[in-house]
Amino acid sequence: MATNNEIEGFGRVSRTAGTLFRYLLLAATLFGLVFVTILLVYVANDAIRPLTADPGWHLTFFLTLVIPTLAAGAYANRRDIAALRTGVFTIGFVVVALMFSGGAAMIFVDIVEPLTWLAFLLALAVPTAVTMAVVSYDHRVSFVAQFVVTVAAFYLSLFGVPGPLGSLAGVSTMVPSLFGFVAGLPFAPAPWLMMAMTFGPPVAYVGSRYVAGDRDRRTHVLVGAGVLAVVLAGGALAPFAGVDPVPGVVVAAVGIAPPLVYAAGTAVNRPTERVGLLVPATVVVGSLVGAVAVDVVGFAGPQSWVDWAFLTSSHSSTAAEAGFYPAIGGSILLMLTVAVLAFPVGIGAAVYLEEYAPNNRFTRIIDVNISNLAGVPSVVYGLLGLGLFVTYLNQPPGTVLLGGATLGLLILPIVIISAREAIRAVPEETRAASYGMGATKWQTVKNVVLPRSFSGILTGTILALGRAIGETAPLIMIGAPNVKYSLPAGLSEAASAMPLQVYAWSSLYAGDDFYQKAVPAGVVVLVAILLAMNSIAIVLRNKYQSTE
Amino acid sequence: MSDNTSEFSADAGDGETADPTADDMVIETDVASATSSSETTTTPDPIIRSRDLDVFYGEEQALDSIDIDIPENRVTAIIGPSGCGKSTFLRCINRMNDRIEACRVEGELSLRGKNVYDPDVDPVALRRRVGMVFQEPNPFPKSIYDNVAYGLEIQDVEGDHDEIVEQSLKRAALWDEVSHQLDSSGLELSGGQQQRLCIARAIAPDPEVLLMDEPASALDPVATSQVEDLIEELAEDYTVVIVTHNMQQAARISDKTAVFLTGGELVEFGDTDQIFENPEHDRVEDYITGKFG
Ligand SMILES: Nc1ncnc2c1ncn2[C@@H]1O[C@H](COP(=O)(O)OP(=O)(O)O)[C@@H](O)[C@H]1O
Ligand SMILES: [Mg+2]
Repeated sequence: MATNNEIEGFGRVSRTAGTLFRYLLLAATLFGLVFVTILLVYVANDAIRPLTADPGWHLTFFLTLVIPTLAAGAYANRRDIAALRTGVFTIGFVVVALMFSGGAAMIFVDIVEPLTWLAFLLALAVPTAVTMAVVSYDHRVSFVAQFVVTVAAFYLSLFGVPGPLGSLAGVSTMVPSLFGFVAGLPFAPAPWLMMAMTFGPPVAYVGSRYVAGDRDRRTHVLVGAGVLAVVLAGGALAPFAGVDPVPGVVVAAVGIAPPLVYAAGTAVNRPTERVGLLVPATVVVGSLVGAVAVDVVGFAGPQSWVDWAFLTSSHSSTAAEAGFYPAIGGSILLMLTVAVLAFPVGIGAAVYLEEYAPNNRFTRIIDVNISNLAGVPSVVYGLLGLGLFVTYLNQPPGTVLLGGATLGLLILPIVIISAREAIRAVPEETRAASYGMGATKWQTVKNVVLPRSFSGILTGTILALGRAIGETAPLIMIGAPNVKYSLPAGLSEAASAMPLQVYAWSSLYAGDDFYQKAVPAGVVVLVAILLAMNSIAIVLRNKYQSTE
Repeated sequence: MSDNTSEFSADAGDGETADPTADDMVIETDVASATSSSETTTTPDPIIRSRDLDVFYGEEQALDSIDIDIPENRVTAIIGPSGCGKSTFLRCINRMNDRIEACRVEGELSLRGKNVYDPDVDPVALRRRVGMVFQEPNPFPKSIYDNVAYGLEIQDVEGDHDEIVEQSLKRAALWDEVSHQLDSSGLELSGGQQQRLCIARAIAPDPEVLLMDEPASALDPVATSQVEDLIEELAEDYTVVIVTHNMQQAARISDKTAVFLTGGELVEFGDTDQIFENPEHDRVEDYITGKFG
């Protein structure tokens, strides 16, 4: 009998409502994700048009790339799941590093002269060295003296005597700054050698520290020399690939050397994960073999709108020839400006609010209002930028500096909030340990709180930066041009930006053709760059959490 | 620099010469410790002394009129049930209570004759003379070397830091285990090792007093006994004040014992043997024998 059974067992409790609730929650979780994914797949299909390729092209790459990669992945996974993870991470690293090196290369091709760059670095390096020398004698030199020497060193090195202070008083510069001196030298090494000189040694140093760690000196030298060789080879071999040597050096130093260093570090220091490197190796070799094969047999690839020409040319009257180059460059410059303006202010405010601010009504009012600022629509920030900088301060509209300042204001509250969260995550015990050792507040912040929260702060600020470069409305408000035909030569020139260019292509004036070809291509590039930035943030966060 | 920092200066030599009476005390203490056995009848002059010390958290009183004389170069244990104000008292000594907004201290607590709550005392300078080890091991997320060298760096201690780091790790009985991995993170060590690292960090700048708030309570028995052995050795050179709720621990390692009971009173203070064998107060006897607490 049923009732008997129930009495003998424990009976059952209905979970229908709970199960229903659970699946509703799952649906809610996936709701947005599914729609955005569908849209992106649709747009990517329009932009890259994989179906326009020869079936043979797909088959070739399936055989040379997809199958071997899957096989290598399965093999690595059988040996050690961590190895597979390392392998996949290396692939991602290569992709992201190459994208960044492309952005960096643009800056040195079109905006910053290699000699100016070298002069600038030297003009920063010398006073930095002076500062470090002064600080390491800090018990002998008073703080005020240190401060004065530091400021003077930077001023002299960057501006000379009497510099801008003198020109305010109508005195012309008598002694040129180190910067002016080097930048004005009549003779200089080849531009690509200068790039290799500035990029090679730091990458080689970091690389050898990473790979060789506390091994003997020989390993250090070997790794460092290897990295230098890669960087120099980038410059020397680029002409054979039809590329300028300057971007060749930048791509080698930023895009190729770091993943190689990472792979070498895995091979040397983590023997169990070594098999994982098979995966990226298969991807690289498979792509090359596939590319050669389709070339030889003559299978046509997809007629993608996102191609080399799209990335390297500017807007044109026909959609098929329109390019994204000035918009990408404009966005990169805006991003740098935003970072330089918003991060110090935002992180400074966060440190003040978390570590110094007294707990009184004034602080609480600021607290609430920063959260409110984060919710102010971006159009309003655009209006602020227009009113403050263009109307009131008489700045020309639409410049990089203006756009950067406006977007910087826009993300400032987000930077503050996320940096505060990261600082708050530093355990109170760690602070207590520092104060208990007789540290002052400044020493505690500098030595314990900031290093500990650094990656958290960076994660939040990178995400905020992603928000900034995706913004369109504030740029429209401040009068940034929709279409630019070249990269801005400096911060005080007008610049377009990726979202603005996409918006221009999709507007009524641009015509249907642009809407179907250029817009999807632009969206794919924009989203790819944002995803690359977010992936950096996610990797940083995971690393941060695993060291807790 | 103002005169408060010369009184409570980071420089250990300074502290002894600044106050002539402090000099006398040091000598007297040396004489006393040389002549007296552990059953001291003539207690050496106290290094820490409190009179009528009250502590409030907001309206709540956590310590009630504490009078205590803590002798130099001895281990003084503070025992008592949870919430009776042991940690609060310890934090009074190096003014870590200043960091708690609601906390208010009244009365006198002096280190070598100088009331640390005098307005001219810089708490940061005070903490450079009074090291602290916390209940949970809390190494910095830095290398082992940098952890131990932290106090040396921030206090600008003169001398060979490598040497001091090595000595401190040896005194903390950790050197043999970590000498080959000074560059690896302090967080990679086991709990017991982390706590010994924290002790090494605390003793590296050579403080005069070492405060320990239940330093072994988060550790397993083996690590606990290692830390206890260490504390006994440290007492040769340092004044150690240790909070514990472990009666055996107090009996084993301390020379003097202070029993705090609920309400934040110091009920009994005396030689450890006497407190454990023949306490004056019934409440203390009840607490020690486990009838209440
Ligand atoms: N930060 C604080 N804020 C408010 N009250 C506190 C704080 N710390 C301790 N107290 C109170 O003070 C009393 C003594 O606490 P504590 O010194 O931590 O005791 P013990 O260390 O002996 O367990 C307790 O009643 C506790 O609630
Ligand atoms: Mg406690």
